[in-house]
Amino acid sequence: MDTLANLALGFSIALSPYTLMLAVIGCFLGTIIGALPGLGPSNGVAILIPLTFSLGLDATSALVLMTAVYYGAMYGGRISSILLNIPGDEPALMTTLDGYPMARQGRAGDALVLSGVASFVGAFLATIGLMLLAPLLARVAYFFGPAEYFALYLLAFCTLGGMASNNQAKAAMASCLGLAIAMVGVDNNSGMPRLTGGNMHLMDGIDFLVAIVGLFAIAEVFFFIESHGKDSSIGIKLDRVTIPWKDIGKSKWTMLRSSVVGFFAGVLPGAGASLGSFLAYMSEKSIAGPKGGFGTGVPQGIAAPEAGNNSAAGGALVPMLTLGVPGSGTTAVLLALLMTLNITPGPTLFTDRPEVVWGLIASLLIANFVLLLMNVPMVKIFVKVLTVPAWVLLPGVTMISFVGIYSLSGSYFDLLLMVAFGVLGYVLRKLDIPTVPVILGILLGGHMEDALRRAMVISDGDIFYLLSSPISIGLWIAAVAGFVAPMFLRGLLKKPQRITD
Amino acid sequence: MTSRLFRALITGAVISTGAAGAVSAAECIAPANPGGGWDFTCRQIGKIMFDIGAVDQPVQVTNMAGAGGGVAYNHVVAERGSDEDLIVAASSATTTRLAQNAYAGMTADQVRFVGAIGADPGVIVVANDSPYQSLGDLVEAIKADPGSVAFAGGSAVGGFDHLKPLMILQRAGFTDITKVKYIGVDGGADAITQTVGGFTQAMTGDMSEVVGFLDSGEVRAIAVLTEERVPGFEDIPTAREQGFDVVAVNWRGLYIPKDVSDETFDAWSDKLQQVADSEEWHEAMAANGLAPFTMVGADFQSYVDTLVDEINTLSKEIGVIQ
Amino acid sequence: MASDRIFGLVALFAALAYIASATQIQTSFLADPVGPKAFPILIGSVAALCALVMIVRPDPDPEWPARRTFIALFVAVVVLVAYAYSLKPFGFIIPTAITAAVLSYQISSRVVAAALSGAGLSVGLFLLFKYALGLGLVPLPHMSEPPAAVAPAEIGAED
Repeated sequence: MDTLANLALGFSIALSPYTLMLAVIGCFLGTIIGALPGLGPSNGVAILIPLTFSLGLDATSALVLMTAVYYGAMYGGRISSILLNIPGDEPALMTTLDGYPMARQGRAGDALVLSGVASFVGAFLATIGLMLLAPLLARVAYFFGPAEYFALYLLAFCTLGGMASNNQAKAAMASCLGLAIAMVGVDNNSGMPRLTGGNMHLMDGIDFLVAIVGLFAIAEVFFFIESHGKDSSIGIKLDRVTIPWKDIGKSKWTMLRSSVVGFFAGVLPGAGASLGSFLAYMSEKSIAGPKGGFGTGVPQGIAAPEAGNNSAAGGALVPMLTLGVPGSGTTAVLLALLMTLNITPGPTLFTDRPEVVWGLIASLLIANFVLLLMNVPMVKIFVKVLTVPAWVLLPGVTMISFVGIYSLSGSYFDLLLMVAFGVLGYVLRKLDIPTVPVILGILLGGHMEDALRRAMVISDGDIFYLLSSPISIGLWIAAVAGFVAPMFLRGLLKKPQRITD
Repeated sequence: MTSRLFRALITGAVISTGAAGAVSAAECIAPANPGGGWDFTCRQIGKIMFDIGAVDQPVQVTNMAGAGGGVAYNHVVAERGSDEDLIVAASSATTTRLAQNAYAGMTADQVRFVGAIGADPGVIVVANDSPYQSLGDLVEAIKADPGSVAFAGGSAVGGFDHLKPLMILQRAGFTDITKVKYIGVDGGADAITQTVGGFTQAMTGDMSEVVGFLDSGEVRAIAVLTEERVPGFEDIPTAREQGFDVVAVNWRGLYIPKDVSDETFDAWSDKLQQVADSEEWHEAMAANGLAPFTMVGADFQSYVDTLVDEINTLSKEIGVIQ
Repeated sequence: MASDRIFGLVALFAALAYIASATQIQTSFLADPVGPKAFPILIGSVAALCALVMIVRPDPDPEWPARRTFIALFVAVVVLVAYAYSLKPFGFIIPTAITAAVLSYQISSRVVAAALSGAGLSVGLFLLFKYALGLGLVPLPHMSEPPAAVAPAEIGAED
């Protein structure tokens, strides 16, 4: 009953024609920002924070606008993943695996609607979870020390074996490449630069956005130059956009399970949305088994990562609000916004400032419904992108990527790196080496090493410290199982799946 | 119909941001990602300057993360040396890194430090159920068995948060500092989480990072590293009164490029003073656990010079730098 | 066969070079039990192992494009690199128009269409970024407006 009363309080604050209008604007801008390669949710929120000041918005309105942008960007990232095989941001990475194949079958509209619905389910359940469980879940973070985080990252890398192409060595090579790149930069544990060659630009390491945009967007341009646009989704005749009830029905349990997986990944401050969508995809893939056809454009393969990453985005708000620990880049930006509004998240926020918390939750729900209502009709507009001729679209994507990456640091160095990643992406894909593990390596490699080294500092180098809690033992068992299982499953496969494109 | 309305609204919003980006607007560089202290400094000071009319257009905040502020420092020194409309957020972390030569050879005299208008007192906290009741307990435990206590902090090894316990231990006569366990995590809140979770035994950070957790009773502050007890937190003893003469505050302030005119320097000092005197800033400080610490203009420049010297000497003594 | 072997060989040397440079990493006096070298060396070793597997058990060759296409790809890379360098000194509009036109021509081989799409994209995107998203792009050279930088999505707490 308390929850309902609080929720009513939240809606009384957040729901007015004016804030509703702001929510619509925010969702719209967010969707566009999310869809543009190189501009992810965190950049989107960061870019638009000044807007709240120049419009003179009060705290509630600012929150509504920004959460709308945040969720909008989370929704929007999938659009370019599905249509062009270019993830709009890192949580949308996994959506390329089945979304793009489906679009190539001429079902881009279905894929977009389905992923929109999955996003809604994930985000909606996560918001409910946040509402009911936040104070309770805040304590989960206290159970995750360095040893537990290390086991969690290990689990992610071990399941990579399950997504490998027909050649295990190539998938391992790809993750090593990502891990090797992740090592570049100042080493947090010694304060010394590593493998930077004395280059100041490399001191902070290589931004994974540079790698994603290079490996996917720029490499895609090279492929178009080679093929002149044949064998892509562009120009494929589209069916009328309808709501694919059958696919939605088929993937309803996938959405529910993935939302739960994603939510818990989001609640852990060290994991975040990308890990959420990755774990959701991999667990659904193993549930479906080799006959599930993951990687060929099946509805479950689209629903899983989208439900996963959107519920992880909601889950990430739990540690952000209750502990002040931002679990992802985007929540870090939202944290900045709250602090500018003189709201300091922390364990007392729920009791001290209920109007802020419940106003935020209400605005999340509002944004979510606005997005669902906006997205289904907007799919008609999105798929029009595919009718744009390749000789306009691909240069356009390139230019957008350049601006997006340029806006990261304002230096040409990142742009050069991005082109280099483009060349690398072209070669890797030619050789059937999957590129997704490269990104995961970059995203998680540094965290994994940090976790290991912190654990060793705390335990004076005692390796058994890594297995010292039930949580870490459980994660280790899952990791070992995840590594070994595909080896047996592979024997059952008649024909190996290609997964990279 | 509706889409046209929204287009009009967005255009309106956009024009106003466009105006904010016009040439005469001041720019504040936060040398880190959004969410950190520098970002807070830029956004708060920028907002208040506009609100109280010290500047006539909203201050545009630019996040320029990299090398712990080194990228922004290099940018200002090399490319914006005479930009009159540029301010850059700074803190003790800036001077610590300058003192430890962590900005690739750049020195503190390559920019002008305008002033500081608030300080985040250093604190040492332990979990509520910790056996350590005072700083003395903690120090004794480390002296007896350095392996028994691990510190967590938001800065990398050798950074300001790490220096705080090292300074205390040095004053206590414990010299074998390589034995002191420290893990640098992603920010103060994360460090507290690790400490409450029992993975580390103490957390070293700033007051603003621990306020919420103090209120909720999950942690206890065993020492604050200021000269006097902090108003509003009178029950937290200073390290000094416990016999460890260490003062470490993380001031929040600004620097500007070196080659601007003295008038510009004075104008920014004056604007900063106005912010410091404003009601809004006092509210922001109270909400974020900052203690009053106002020092602008030439006074501050000489304070910074002294500080850089001190930290340089200290880092050499402790052995963080050669 | 040959492609995988060549790539494997290149990767093997890269991995060895990586290990070699990892051994040169400075260690701080405050060394932790693992140290900054162990992880990079481990990764390099696994990568070297994978490279060996690729050399020993290569997959069938992919279809590589004809030499003319390779030249086209090389031109594209050169143009993109030049674009990266020219954004700052020459502003957004002119380099973007040229680069977009070249890429467009490489895909469609139609001069007029390419020129139009180059011009259209540079102006259109400039308007989009400048006015719809508020990024402070520099349209033309010699304007004092700084580029707006936004945050990479990583958590910074070093201040």
